[in-house]
Amino acid sequence: MAYRLLGRATLLGAGLGMALSGAAVSGTYDITVDRIEIDTGDFTKTGIGYNGSQTPTVLRFREGEEVTINVTNNLSEETSIHWHGLILPFDQDGVPEISYDGIAPGETFTHRFPIVQSGTYWFHSHSGFQEPDGAYGAIIIEPEGRPLARFDKEYVVQLTDKHPHSGDRIMRNLKMSADYYNREQRTLFDFISDASENGVGATLEERRMWGEMRMMPTDIEDVQGFTPLINGLGPDQNWTGLFEKGERVLLRFINSSAMTYFDVRIPGLKMTVVAADGNPVQPVPVDEFRIGVAETYDVIVRPRTEDAHTIFAESMGRTAYARGTLAVREGLEAPVPELRESPRLTMADMGMDHGSMAGMDHSAMTGGQDGEHTMPDGTTMKGMDHGSMAGMDHSTMGGEHTMADGTTMKGMDHGSMAGMDHGSMGMSTGDPFYAAGSGLVPKAANGGKFLSYADLKAAKPLYEDRDATREIELRLTGNMERYIWSINGVKYEDADPIVLNYGERVRFKFVNETMMTHPMHLHGMWSILDNDNGKWDPVKHTVSVSPGTTVFMETEVDAPGQWAFHCHLSYHAAAGMFRKVVVVGGPEDQRAELDPVSGG
Amino acid sequence: MFRTTATRAISAALTLSISTVALPASAGPGHGATEAGEPGKASEVSRTITVSMGDNYYEPETISVQEGETVRFVVKNDGTLVHEFNIGTAKMLMDHAPEMQMMVDHGVLEADRINHEAAKAMQASMGHGEHKMPNAALLEPGQTGEVVWKFPEHAELEFGCTVPGHYEAGMVGDFKLTH
Amino acid sequence: MDRGTVLAGAIAPALLMALPAAADPLVWGFQAEQNEYRVTDGDNVYAWDFDAFIGTDEARFVWRSEGEYAFGEDAFETLENQARVQVPISDFWDAVAGVRLDTPSGPDRVFGVIGLHGLAPQFIETDIDFFIADDPAFRFEIEYEGLITNRIILTPSFELDLPFTDDEEIGLGGFGPSMELGLRLSYDLVDRAIAPYVGVHYERSFGESSLLAQREGENPGAVFFVVGARLQF
Repeated sequence: MAYRLLGRATLLGAGLGMALSGAAVSGTYDITVDRIEIDTGDFTKTGIGYNGSQTPTVLRFREGEEVTINVTNNLSEETSIHWHGLILPFDQDGVPEISYDGIAPGETFTHRFPIVQSGTYWFHSHSGFQEPDGAYGAIIIEPEGRPLARFDKEYVVQLTDKHPHSGDRIMRNLKMSADYYNREQRTLFDFISDASENGVGATLEERRMWGEMRMMPTDIEDVQGFTPLINGLGPDQNWTGLFEKGERVLLRFINSSAMTYFDVRIPGLKMTVVAADGNPVQPVPVDEFRIGVAETYDVIVRPRTEDAHTIFAESMGRTAYARGTLAVREGLEAPVPELRESPRLTMADMGMDHGSMAGMDHSAMTGGQDGEHTMPDGTTMKGMDHGSMAGMDHSTMGGEHTMADGTTMKGMDHGSMAGMDHGSMGMSTGDPFYAAGSGLVPKAANGGKFLSYADLKAAKPLYEDRDATREIELRLTGNMERYIWSINGVKYEDADPIVLNYGERVRFKFVNETMMTHPMHLHGMWSILDNDNGKWDPVKHTVSVSPGTTVFMETEVDAPGQWAFHCHLSYHAAAGMFRKVVVVGGPEDQRAELDPVSGG
Repeated sequence: MFRTTATRAISAALTLSISTVALPASAGPGHGATEAGEPGKASEVSRTITVSMGDNYYEPETISVQEGETVRFVVKNDGTLVHEFNIGTAKMLMDHAPEMQMMVDHGVLEADRINHEAAKAMQASMGHGEHKMPNAALLEPGQTGEVVWKFPEHAELEFGCTVPGHYEAGMVGDFKLTH
Repeated sequence: MDRGTVLAGAIAPALLMALPAAADPLVWGFQAEQNEYRVTDGDNVYAWDFDAFIGTDEARFVWRSEGEYAFGEDAFETLENQARVQVPISDFWDAVAGVRLDTPSGPDRVFGVIGLHGLAPQFIETDIDFFIADDPAFRFEIEYEGLITNRIILTPSFELDLPFTDDEEIGLGGFGPSMELGLRLSYDLVDRAIAPYVGVHYERSFGESSLLAQREGENPGAVFFVVGARLQF
């Protein structure tokens, strides 16, 4: 093999060490899947809980351990558990119809796999909408060597967006009316205030533009009306983590939401990010960070006084917040900030601001949807069909476009765009992982440092850096009005699997042609985010792709079998933004028994 | 764990053996003197202490020194990232962090190397860039450096790495000043 | 049997063939845009206009029902049920085919239906239907939800019915259109499931149809005050 799997080598070493010491660690864990009553403080509902509780179960493993996990299904429907972020044999991955048949009501399924990594991960049902209904828990894996940072105490901070409606009902409502849960739409009053700020003409023009597209700048959270929870507790129930003055506290943030990104801060405390998606990163001190659905971030905080501190996690659309407290004893509270103003998508998020659209490779983009986009000057562009856009007469788009918010889009210099390289992406916005001029670019509440994907550098790269052997383009596509989400314009039901060859390093190119942010999760193999840090590119399991951007990630194809690959927003995955990945080849004994069709 | 304990044992033994040596009289604050002490003279070094820097930790994490003692620290970067061995009070170390952040922002401080070209550019544009501080050694992976330091009579001192984030992640150790 | 029925009978099965074998999950729903009591100085009326649907992303079967029951006369002024199949043909538009059955108090009528249903630019909910029978007709309906707030919604609506031939038995004159204008102010009381509203509803017929109404001693135009509740579940 041309390259060395550092991870595997380490594992081998660990195995050898254990063999020599004669003490292979193994542990048995039991999980029951139960129908429970959930109380968020705002409402109660029937949902699902592991081990009969709305407090998420925390599994604590050791790197090198052989785990046996007995999952007993006490529901009246099939269930499953996916071990999110864990590297394991594909038949243990817990995805019905891809890894195994699922777990029938009343049955116990026994998972057995070795733990070959360390860090913060989580687990959740991969059946129906059981995860939004409450079927999620946390996994902490202690490393064999030194901990990733020095800390005195540690807490899991597991976020979710608990909704009063069942997952099935939410999906049905979205299919009936895609804006069913959007209560942040622009109203007459917004019109009046915009008009008084920008003039009636400009406001009308801006409204007309969005109306032409039949899209809304408020489409940031599909599903609103939820109560965010921290470790199963609503804002009023105030989950509290205790510390003593001067202690270093490791907070393991996990976003187990169905649909919601959170912006997390702890007013008064600097947070130092030491791991992302379980893997150690070179520490980054920040004031605030955005956690995508399914991501995890480990941060260290060090309160130097006895003051209580609020853990404040605002939803990205600013419709709700999770709240907990760090304090020296139970019952203490710190001020709870107000929700900030809701962001609005801009034309940049629609992929329309081509003048500054960063790093987009137009020639390689092929059209997916039709529909028309009308620019303020009255020219019409075919929907998201960037392929045909490349051939249009750009001269009609020259001059200045004035947006309702007063910003102007300069005439577009397509000539220079061709030469745009990844490195210069989005220098104007400050965060290359948002479209230049995006309405979603986050800012720290205290004016300080907001974590960017660009800041993440692997502390211990798992693989040697090498060129990818192949590039696969995945356009993230959808039809908001019909609530159909897809990849390359094809939804899961109609799609062929993505076939990868064992031993190759695949470069995935995500082109987000929708106006929503998609956290893309590949099962079974690591996602090395290309954030221009070369050999230090961080190793993740979930890569968030903002609207109007192109993001690359690379995967060393080192896990035989078949795997799921999908947007981790529950209702997007269910609506079709999902693929099966088949890895062909690899060690004989680990190969999947693939049906000939999907294996082709 | 084993190595840490062993190192601690050695440093304890050194401390004991050195305690019998007569200490030079305090020379008063000279050039570079701070509340953390001052640059030591090679001729006054009473002993050498070896410190290993790993990825975001030191070995040992606690070092005992005599008040007023001049110590030669031989610091080896055994990690894969750039690290620093910087002697100061907690406040001094924290105050140094923004400068280091600026070096990162200007591309002077890369993850595993010090970019001297970028440092020159920063020097040219901002009037300051790389500078050698007598109380600190900033080292690329594999490099070994030296700090000769004369400790004061009374102080609460730490040694820490002010590469952004490292200190916060726990790359800090304590000096125990004893009579 | 008239031509419309034959045509619809031929089209509907073809559209149903588009239904996938078992791929997509079924979704269903019920949406009543009008469900109201209409008060006027003449005869008060209960009226409804709802869609009940079941289907997938590829095709939906819709039962569309509209009716007006006049209390004074104790009679259905209109009673219209359609069985429609909707199939997406673009991002925002569905093609429609189906059957319409009118069974008011009085003579019955059967039509085949071919139409378009979708969202026009500026978020205008639109239906364009051709009703195919011996006495064919055309209908154009639009509706817009204007958000005063995110829960208080002002909904203007417009409907135009245009018969192409005389059908004196049911009071329609060829190319004598009838029109409905509505303005309803609703409040989303329970999610979007129940939204009580008040509003005005104006009906008027023109041309031949208007003359026919006048001959029957009816007023060709009428204004109603309406109170009702939009339903969606």
